Parts: sequence; C-alpha cells; structure tokens
Amino acid sequence: MQGSSRRTGTMTDVHRRFLQLLMTHGVLEEWEVKRLQKHCYKVHDCNAPVEKLEDFIHNINSVLESLYIEIKKGVTEDDGRPIYALVNLATTAISKMASDFAENELDLFRKALELIIDSETGFASSTNILNVVDQLKGKKMRKKEAEQKEGEFTLHTRAILEMEQHIRETYPDAVKICNICHGLLIQGQSCETCGIRMHLPCVAKYFQSNSEPRCPNCNDYWPHEIPEVFDPEKERGAGLSKPSRKSLRPRQH
Amino acid sequence: MPGAPTYPQFPLRAPLSGRRASCSDAEVPACRGRAPAAGDMLPKPRSRGRPSSQADRDGGRGGDGRAARSAAAEEAPSTSRGAGGSQDPRRSSSQGGRRADAPLVVGPRSQKQLELKVAELVQFLLIKDQRKIPIKRADIVKHVLGDYRDMFPDLLHRAAERLQYVFGYRLVELEPKSNTYILINSLEPVEEDAELRGDQGTPTTGLLMIVLGLIFMKGNAVKETEVWDFLRRLGVYPTKKHLIFGDPKKLLTEDFVRQRYLEYRRIPHTDPVDYELQWGPRTHLETSKMKVLKFVAKVHNQDPKDWPAQYCEALAEEEDRARPQASAPSQASARSQTSTRPPTSAPSQTSTRPPTSAPSQTSAPAPSS
Repeated sequence: MQGSSRRTGTMTDVHRRFLQLLMTHGVLEEWEVKRLQKHCYKVHDCNAPVEKLEDFIHNINSVLESLYIEIKKGVTEDDGRPIYALVNLATTAISKMASDFAENELDLFRKALELIIDSETGFASSTNILNVVDQLKGKKMRKKEAEQKEGEFTLHTRAILEMEQHIRETYPDAVKICNICHGLLIQGQSCETCGIRMHLPCVAKYFQSNSEPRCPNCNDYWPHEIPEVFDPEKERGAGLSKPSRKSLRPRQH
Repeated sequence: MPGAPTYPQFPLRAPLSGRRASCSDAEVPACRGRAPAAGDMLPKPRSRGRPSSQADRDGGRGGDGRAARSAAAEEAPSTSRGAGGSQDPRRSSSQGGRRADAPLVVGPRSQKQLELKVAELVQFLLIKDQRKIPIKRADIVKHVLGDYRDMFPDLLHRAAERLQYVFGYRLVELEPKSNTYILINSLEPVEEDAELRGDQGTPTTGLLMIVLGLIFMKGNAVKETEVWDFLRRLGVYPTKKHLIFGDPKKLLTEDFVRQRYLEYRRIPHTDPVDYELQWGPRTHLETSKMKVLKFVAKVHNQDPKDWPAQYCEALAEEEDRARPQASAPSQASARSQTSTRPPTSAPSQTSTRPPTSAPSQTSAPAPSS
C-alpha cells in the first residue's frame, strides 16, 4: 500500500465499522469498547470468534500507525477506570486545525492549560481563567464568551492521553509526574513531607491492603485517604450508570 | 408532530458525523517557544507562492511514480508537470535532507515526509467532512499541502486510498471538475449503530428524509409552496420554531443546500416568487431512488411496488448504476473513483425524466403518528 515493509495488520469491515463508531466518541470506557467490538462482529461476521480486545486494537493500531493516529489506552485520573481514545500523534497536524478556531480561542485554551498545569490541585478556577481573557491574543474576547460554568476546570482524560507528550515537552519545569507510573500527573495526591506525587489509581494499587501506608520516597506516613482499586465487576454488578460521572467535571472539549 | 416518530433506518450513506472526531478537540497549536515535537520532520517551510500550473486537475492518475521529487524552491520549478504524469528525472527517494546552502528549501521529499503529509490530509478531510460542507481543493492546498501543492493529485489519491482502506470512507468529487470533495460511507448504516454512537446523530436528518422522499415521489422536483403544504400536516412550519428541527425554513433553504443535499432554485416568471426543490449532488451520491422509495414505503407500511411509476424509475437507476460504463460504477474500488468522477447516476438525474406523477401515486399522506 504505502510501499512500507512494516508488518501491518489487515482491516476488514468489522474493524472499519468499529473505527467509525469509535470516532463518534471522545473517549470510551473499556466495557463500552468491548460492546462496540461485539456489535461490529455481529454486523459483519457472525460466526467468527471475537478476537481478544487487546489484539484487536493492536491490529488496528498497526494500520493506523502510518496515519499518525492511535487508539490509546489510559486510565482516568480520579478513579482508575480504563479508557480508550483515538489520539493524534503528529503534532504538526495540530496547527492545521487552527483554522477551525479563532486565534483568541486557541490562546485561551493554551492559557487555561498553563493554569491547570501550574496549579497545585490540577484544577484552575473559572475566575482565574476569566482573568486571563484580557491578555489574549487576537480579537478581544468578551468575558461572557469565555465563561462556561462556575467551578473549576481540569484536563479531561482524553486531553491528557493526547497531549501528554506535548505538555511534557512544552512545560518541562512545571509539569508534575507520578512517582509510581512516571506518567504525566494533573490530579493526584502528594506527600506533605517530600512532595512526591502519585495518581489516585496508582495510590490505590500501591497501597492496596496496606494498613500503614508510607511514602515510597521518604517513608513518612501517607496522610491521605487511600482510594479503592477500580473493579469493573463490582461496578457493573451494582448497576451504576457511569455517564453521570462524566458530567461532574466541567470539561474543555 | 405529536411525539417523536420512529423512522426506519435513514438510507443515507454519510460518514458517521461524530461531534468529536479523532483530532478535533484537544488540539493545541504551537505554543510559545515550542520544542520540536516528535512528528516534526522539518520546520514549516515558508510558502513560496509558486503558481501551480497543474495541467491535470483531476486526480486519480495512477501510480506512485511521482512519489519523491526534488523540489528546490530556489531553482527554477523542477517538478515536471508535463501531461500524463511523466516522471521527473531528478526524482530521488533519498532521505529528506536540507541543503546547507539553501536553508529555506524543502529538499527532496522522503517517503516519511510524504507519509506524514498524507496523514495530515486524511485527518483534515475527516474533520472537514464532519460539518458536511464540501471540501475545496483550495482549502486543502492552503491548510495542508502548502509547498507540496504540486503533488496534489498524488497525495489526494493516497489519502483517498487510506480513507477507504482504513475507515471505509470514499472520497468523491461532488461534481465533475468542481474541485470540491465529500466523503461517502461505503459501509451500510445499520439500525443498531444508532445505540452505539457517541453522538446523537443529527435529528434534522429526519426532516431531510421526508423532503427527499417527497421530492422523489413528486417527480424529482417540487415547489417550495407544496413542501410547506405537506409539512404543515406534520406540524412543521416555515415561520415557526420547531422543537426538534429548530428553524425548518433555514434548514431546507440554507443548511441542506449548503451541505448539497438539496438544490433550491427560483422558478422564473412566478409571482409571487416561488422556488423549486430538488435533490442535490450529495444526495445522489449518498443514497439512491430505490433506497428512498423503500424508506417511503416503510413509513406508509406498504410495498415499494405500490408506486409503480416510481418503482420503475428507481429500478432504472439501479441498473444504470450497476452497468459498468465509461464513468465507473458507483461501487467501484476507491482507486478508480477518487477524485475523478461521481457515479453515473448524478448527471442523469436532473430534469430529463418527465414527472411521473399520477394523482393516486404521488399523494403522500401524512404518516400516522
């Protein structure tokens, strides 16, 4: 196809429909992805056994590689839910999309991003963001245009997945890293003595069934509440509907 | 309309217009003092404003032979643009390097650079098509290709191939020589898809389908006044805001026209002025008379054959499309299709067929809702 000698997978209509439907979501939870996969098999190829999700996605990703996009797996920062999102790997393409947003809108996003990264909690208040509006490049934006909701803004999991690399490169000093997984950290817990930080799900895993949690770095008592490790079975059993959680945090989409 | 009517599957093969496609959201443009990022091949070259005196405006010229050309901006235009895609003798497929003496020069284009360009083009097309506005060649050149504009046909062809192979979307030129493109879904829509989508689809499609059906049943053209007479029975008025559809008048006469689903033409010598609505080029590409007839039949709980004239017309169109003619059949592989010609059916639609309306057949009673 492209004359490349890479060992790429094969796309069938099952994969195509999956990709099409996946693209209508910003981000999907693992169980939703599995359901999507089953649906696509049913539509196109009833008898074939449903491939293991990991392999299925890996296959698609090998084809997507030449397009510089990827179905990336991540974990929500607040409760450790496994999620998937289709992300863009080529940062040069990003500036092209500037044609869809006004300069002042882009600048606002950039500045809000900086506020979030610099913040202690990983959240930037709407007040702080609004204060930035006066300094924006481009056409003067009225505060009313910038306003979303009362409250605080943070980065959606999807944004973290997609922009992690860019953020680490652009803000190498301000950026926070998790001590356990070494990934980008926006929200998390921190040790009050030595300052190291950990994602909530990383805390959950690390201190699982440990009655006396101590900081892995300085050994001081870990002062925060240890969250539960995410258990997909327990969740489905309880019949909780997850969509409501998504709306908890106002998001920049 | 009392309540929300449940329609059978809309037979429109549009790409799933996710409100959030792969790369529209978390974009951040080059920040201040940006560090080179992984995908950067070269610093963005300044656009040179070279005239692209492309002789071949339609793409689809086979072959990747023109893959890597040396396109030195300082020198006289080196890319051969002779007819028939002749090879540039200085074509090199070496690494993308920059010559020390010409810092702004793009340099020979390596496979990797081209691959990245194609990737950008694919993403661009996906995002632009989301809004259902046909994508102009000029926009492609301006926002994606830049200095690669001389490779437009080749890159577009590759992008089209990728779109078909990876996503199942066909890139099609809206009308011959129009230099505007849309994406058509080569996968058939399926009822259960609707439950699994991340967006709600577009509720306005319902109104569009009704109007498309009406137009076809009435002989491929219908006066605007007739449309409103019909829609009135469904509780849709040109002047009244609608709960689901918003501003129906704007939808029909502006939005759907801009998206090329409908054509809205003034009827000359009418007083007061009246307009005529017909299928637009996108409709012809995304669906067919047979599909729309089946949809109308289903809404009425009847069989398509209950409208013999329309059924014959739809059948004729099916045969037309299936027949391999000079201008390739609609189901042909993306390779031969891409940016050259739309399916055969498009030109033949307009007003060549006499209206086949007989009173008993064209009445479209309001669906019992």
